[in-house]
Amino acid sequence: MPTVMIQEARARVTVGSFSQMADAPAATAPSSESAEAALAFLTEMSPDLRGAAVLGPEGEALAVTSGEAARWAEDAETLFAAGDTAEETPVEQIHIATEQGEVFAIRSEGLAAIAVTERFALASLVLFDLRSILRELARGAH
Amino acid sequence: MQKPHRILLDRVSAYADEAAAFMRRRRVARKPFARLYYAGGRSADHAQDSTAGAELFVAAGRLIEVAGNRKGGKG
Repeated sequence: MPTVMIQEARARVTVGSFSQMADAPAATAPSSESAEAALAFLTEMSPDLRGAAVLGPEGEALAVTSGEAARWAEDAETLFAAGDTAEETPVEQIHIATEQGEVFAIRSEGLAAIAVTERFALASLVLFDLRSILRELARGAH
Repeated sequence: MQKPHRILLDRVSAYADEAAAFMRRRRVARKPFARLYYAGGRSADHAQDSTAGAELFVAAGRLIEVAGNRKGGKG
């Protein structure tokens, strides 16, 4: 079997596995207080972090570390829209490294989180932390 | 007081020098990139000069701007 076919088959199986997992969207948006607490924890844990935001199910900013909440929501929506249209498939995670800094975005549990870090931040750690806070927030919202 | 072990010190210094050199090269050689991850673990890179890549970099630039330069957005 050609390698591409094997990869496609594996992707189908993996998607099937994930669809069985309890990853349902948050029934209600978490409170701003819990989102702020999650961002405070993230800021404490990540020395490379410049700023971050947690977005609710409607794309509204529940909490931000700095700057205007509305601007974060608007720019995050633009980023996810650009990601979704790149291959006409909903994107789960985005990592963009520029010379000015790095941007991480993740959608999970019906929520979204964005983080802007210094250059050369460890991508796996940042994405893990973002996914963790979204999971905790979704669990608290149920 | 006993002197530090010279061989051990030299070895640690050599490792630190190598790590520093690796990081220097990484900083110089690494180019900007946009990587998207999809369900199932698939990922795709988009070049800065592609249509999708350009949109992603513009959106990322705006987020970097709103985040500020430093932790806490003081910069």
